[in-house]
Amino acid sequence: MNQDSENVDALLKLMALKRHEQPPPGYFARLPDKITSRIERGEGQLNFWERFLAGYTFRPAFAYSFALVAFGALGFSVINSVSTAPADSARELAGEGWRVATPREALASQVNLSDMPHVANWMGNTNAGAGGPALPSLFGPPDHSRAVPVSFQAGPP
Amino acid sequence: MHTKAEVEKLVSSQPAPEPQEAAEASEADDLTLVRRAQAGEDMGAYDQLVRRYQERLYATVYHMTSNHEDANDLVQETFIKAFRALKSFKGDSSFYTWIYRIAVNKTINFLKQRKNRVQMSLNDLDFNVENDPDLVALISEKTPRRSLHLSELQEKLNGALRKLSEHHRMVVVLHDVQGLSHEEVGRIMDCNVGTVRSRLFYARQQLQAHLSDYLK
Repeated sequence: MNQDSENVDALLKLMALKRHEQPPPGYFARLPDKITSRIERGEGQLNFWERFLAGYTFRPAFAYSFALVAFGALGFSVINSVSTAPADSARELAGEGWRVATPREALASQVNLSDMPHVANWMGNTNAGAGGPALPSLFGPPDHSRAVPVSFQAGPP
Repeated sequence: MHTKAEVEKLVSSQPAPEPQEAAEASEADDLTLVRRAQAGEDMGAYDQLVRRYQERLYATVYHMTSNHEDANDLVQETFIKAFRALKSFKGDSSFYTWIYRIAVNKTINFLKQRKNRVQMSLNDLDFNVENDPDLVALISEKTPRRSLHLSELQEKLNGALRKLSEHHRMVVVLHDVQGLSHEEVGRIMDCNVGTVRSRLFYARQQLQAHLSDYLK
């Protein structure tokens, strides 16, 4: 215990050294003028959000109460929407005579199966069994008769 | 390990350093100046408040950062921010506590952002240091202090302080260096006296460990 006390005494004596550290001569004579001129130049002017937050910085109780109310409202709205939204929407749809479609009906409503495009397979066939005019194979020799001339120069070709 | 009672006895047995002369400026006087500054943008009144507290605020920030340039910037920003926010000062606490709190928060945020990237730029020691009997005794008693210059000791001390966390360092600076009471430190740091005492005890233990060669 005495040893501890002596060590603390020695430490406090050592800490006294800090009080002898001084800024450059004349520093404190110039500092107020620098601060005043910066204030007069309009530095540090608070915008709306900074003024809003400054109130909370200096009065933490307001900040805590604001955060509590905000999170409470958010939590309430989330819980409320999760518990009521599916039931409400199902009820609304049923009231309008809606029913859930089967997967086949849903697909048929989106895609006309009798008008499917021809797609070349790996052997170059273009779905010939489906009828209709045969389209050129992507893998066959190029058909230059179908080429469209293109010019990148200005004026008539 | 120490019991809680031992800790409190050890901490409270240490004499608090002499309060500084400027600390005796009356709160009522401060409030008058604040009201004048609040009412009509009276820069003269605010200038007086700056002159009254600049040295103490600078010292606090400087001892925290160990860097004159950073301390200079932070003190200026503190006074500018305080001026802009002066309308929100209701007088619930003293102006002194209020502006100290701004400086402390600004400094702790600055140190957290910069982490260990703050370079030491130590101020010179004044001439009186040569006449300080405690310090003279400290460097002339035993090895390795005998061969140690004051400037080296200053570097070691600042290095040890920088190893403390921001909150522990702040308590040591405010109490052991600046001489504020536990209650004042608690008000400034927005914590209770028990927390101040335990932080102070822990910080001193850390400093003793880091500076053991110079405390024998």
